[in-house]
Amino acid sequence: MAALRSRRASIFGQSVYDPRVLPPAAPAGAVNRETPLVAHETLSGPYAVLSFRHPEVAAAARAGQFVMIKPGRSADPPLRRPYSVMATDPARGTFSLFVKAVGPGSAALVALRTGDVAQCLGPLGHGFATPAVGVESLLVAGGYGIAPLLLLSGELTREGRPARVFYGGRSHADLQLLDRFAAIEVPVVATTEDGSLGQRGRVTEALDAYLETARTPLELLACGPDAMLQAVARVAARRSLRAQVSLDPWMGCGLGTCLGCVVRIRDAGCETSRWRCACTEGPVFDAAAVVWPGETEPRAEPRTVSA
Amino acid sequence: VSRLAVEVAGIALANPLIAASGTFGYGVEMAGVIDLRGLGALVTKGLYLEPRDGCPTPRIAETPSGLLNAIGLQGIGVKAFVRDVLPLLHGCGTRVLVNVCGDSVDEYAEVSRILDAAPGVAGLEINISCPNVKKGGIAFGGDPAMTRDVVAAVRQATRLPVIPKLSPNVADIGLFARVAEEAGADALSCINTLLGLAVDVDRRRPKLAFGTGGLSGPAIRPIAVRMAWQAARAVKIPVIGVGGITGAEDALEFLIVGCRAVQIGTANFVDVSVFERTAAGILAYLDRHGLRHVDEVVGSLAHPAKEDA
Repeated sequence: MAALRSRRASIFGQSVYDPRVLPPAAPAGAVNRETPLVAHETLSGPYAVLSFRHPEVAAAARAGQFVMIKPGRSADPPLRRPYSVMATDPARGTFSLFVKAVGPGSAALVALRTGDVAQCLGPLGHGFATPAVGVESLLVAGGYGIAPLLLLSGELTREGRPARVFYGGRSHADLQLLDRFAAIEVPVVATTEDGSLGQRGRVTEALDAYLETARTPLELLACGPDAMLQAVARVAARRSLRAQVSLDPWMGCGLGTCLGCVVRIRDAGCETSRWRCACTEGPVFDAAAVVWPGETEPRAEPRTVSA
Repeated sequence: VSRLAVEVAGIALANPLIAASGTFGYGVEMAGVIDLRGLGALVTKGLYLEPRDGCPTPRIAETPSGLLNAIGLQGIGVKAFVRDVLPLLHGCGTRVLVNVCGDSVDEYAEVSRILDAAPGVAGLEINISCPNVKKGGIAFGGDPAMTRDVVAAVRQATRLPVIPKLSPNVADIGLFARVAEEAGADALSCINTLLGLAVDVDRRRPKLAFGTGGLSGPAIRPIAVRMAWQAARAVKIPVIGVGGITGAEDALEFLIVGCRAVQIGTANFVDVSVFERTAAGILAYLDRHGLRHVDEVVGSLAHPAKEDA
């Protein structure tokens, strides 16, 4: 089996194999195990921070990567759920997820008690690429999308990279993790649409205002609702900035086999686009490559790749 | 000799557990997380002659104990599979069955001819039952004459074992089983997904972009067991049971009603240890019941045979 894995890896590495033919496999470092819940921190409203013991995720997960997790083996809800990793503690072998109980999957997770066991596969997917040295990272979060950007803030500041966080929501209740940025010593601009916390307005308005005056090279890294990510993509395009966005489509397996989570992505330097698995080829994509809702969709002729 | 080793359609399997088409990619995707040697065989995602784009999104929706999907057979095409993927599966430690699709009888035959000449293919599963494509798929599997034409054409095109995958969206699966057997099938896979529809009540639209979809998962298991049982009673060739298996007890239901092997599908999306758990559970069952070999379980249903009830 190791031979199969390495042969596949070497073939990808040499680019003999056109990855447009077949999505890349889940990272070989992804490990499935029973993960006991070691800490359950209830926040206000439907929010909670859950910490699980999973040494491989704790050691290897990078910002933007995710786990597929399911409490127990009950048939309902049937599928695992994808969650971006919010924090890791490699020394303790634990990682944390930021969970909002909105449906049966998340509700079942939040209902876990310390010591209960979930099935967890990870780390999965490709996370955020670290911007080049000398580039200031502008992290843009919409509400619940803050989780991977908290992990990213820590990674960047540990490496001495300049970063700034724009954290928006409809109301103050949506900015549940605001106080956790104090320990990371990264500047945070908070926005709420109702003005109950921070600046009144949308997070992309605060971002745009900052970009008006900024002089250093910049890159945007965003996670949040699709409409917010599309707005970030527009801002980036208007100002010729690179933007990485973490997409969150419905995901069935996390392994590139169900083809449920596909998103339309433009081919580099081409007018064509094709389906990419958010799980194995994302969930982080270059915003300029994403075919957003309402955009005309360039389509690749179904084709084989000449050897 | 392993207590789980079985033979289906002349194919020797290390155990009766097969990964179902559409839930295991082309096998290579899973090699990083599962030891493929633990599988009796895998069935690839369905392949046409050419690459296919599949359905728009959303493509999947959860239902009670089930999964509704309309992927629409997105795939790389049989030529790219043979050239680029099949070599990667050499020595992977399990049997590779290829799921064959077509928009026409000729296309099924052509795809089968290409696979017949390809090294490393143990057999062909003929997809005459996909509910998520406009042509082909269930259009063939829902009509006995079309079923006969497709199976006979594939039979002509290959010496490999031919395993039609039957649709549950018919009134009498026994009829389709007999037609497929007479047309030269070596075994049958029973069943594909059940046609379903889930509605987003706020938007008053189908949850899936395609509209309808194929239902899989534990929700369909009793229907699948019943139809596999009916098919097994209708023919002499082996039947491979498929539908909602999540562990040993589920697999045993199919074996007991007469299936020589089973396929595990949707559970692959949920639990990468399902093959390991199911095989271990079947061995424990054999011990508990004082049986030496899994073959002793096959067709052991204690039930007054209702003649064509």
